[in-house]
Amino acid sequence: MNAKSLIILSAIAGLLLAAVPVLAHHSFAAEFDSNLPMTATGVVTKVEWMNPHTHFYIDVKDDSGKVVNWDIETGSPNALARRGWTRNSLKVGDVVTADLFRAKDGSNLASARNVKLADGRKIFAGSADDGSPDSKGGPTGTKY
Amino acid sequence: MHRIVFVAAVSALLQVASFHAKAQPAAKPAAAAAANEVKPTPRLSDGKVDFGGKGVWAPIWVLDWANKKWVNQAVDVPFKPAGLELFNERRANNSKDDPEGYCLPAGVPRYTGTPYPFQIIQLPDRVVILYEGASHMYRVVLMNAEHSKDPDPSWLGESVGHWEGNDTLVIDTVGFNGRTWLDYVGHPASDQLHVIERLKRPDYRTLVYEATIEDPKYYTKPWTTSFNVKFQPGWEIKEYVCLENNKDLLHLGTKEPK
Repeated sequence: MNAKSLIILSAIAGLLLAAVPVLAHHSFAAEFDSNLPMTATGVVTKVEWMNPHTHFYIDVKDDSGKVVNWDIETGSPNALARRGWTRNSLKVGDVVTADLFRAKDGSNLASARNVKLADGRKIFAGSADDGSPDSKGGPTGTKY
Repeated sequence: MHRIVFVAAVSALLQVASFHAKAQPAAKPAAAAAANEVKPTPRLSDGKVDFGGKGVWAPIWVLDWANKKWVNQAVDVPFKPAGLELFNERRANNSKDDPEGYCLPAGVPRYTGTPYPFQIIQLPDRVVILYEGASHMYRVVLMNAEHSKDPDPSWLGESVGHWEGNDTLVIDTVGFNGRTWLDYVGHPASDQLHVIERLKRPDYRTLVYEATIEDPKYYTKPWTTSFNVKFQPGWEIKEYVCLENNKDLLHLGTKEPK
């Protein structure tokens, strides 16, 4: 799996726009680019279960075989916990796959949507949906 | 490569579909039925509405307090030129200077439209609102009290409250510091802000929240908006210390909050 790890940039632009994320405590649009979605598979190197956003870091091998460490931002620990995550859902060494949007500043930072955990579960990791059963799910498809 | 892209595209679509499917409570029919059961408004022994219970109010993120997408009725905001100019500036730069990004308090009335739960505790002479949002703030509303002559400016202002009948809790707030935004899109507020909130609970799970905004610096006249907040039984307020690892500021392209 690692040998086939890859990043697909832009190729699926548009398809993920139905789920454009927002982050609960700051502007999504100022930090991330909804036109730069990517899916990445990599090995977890560090987890920060902290506010205002949980971050985890993954080593991702690109097409040329070069390993790059990505900083993946998700919702707050409270938001994730109310959605079924625990602080032990991600462990160093786990292989995970995440749907992401890249940072506008070109750094190796991305905002997560769905994350497929090592045990196969796929859990929403963003902040757009606050978890209430009849949530409108945030500003789906809007320019915000 | 084309095949890989195709697979990724299909996979992406499936994931989006999967996310939406999971967002529906229908996945658990029994739980959904229980959640949708309309229970009556809880009341205190004096007949007043009880805004508490075992659970929290869980707002959605009301990004634009004038846009029908989030509020019950679209509002044609009566901007003064200074208000419109500031609003347009914030739209043009994607709200990068939003105080919330700096973990500063959302303020009043914005807390009710940020995606952090809150709890309302009613005591004989005061109502206390506990906000989980940045960073787990409390707010005291003194009932049947007068405003101070010259309240010290603050993020949440000075709140006094009264009842209209047994069903409507009215909260009047002044004394703001002028540093809060009314919402994410950046409707401005100054230190002249005056907010009147009206809270109703027509059934157990529903808070009907209405806010009237008066701010002669930025608006020609008061404007009113409203939306509903759902009660989330079984949840509790959690600790939320926004500043403990706020890395976003490094990427927001700004140096100081405005």
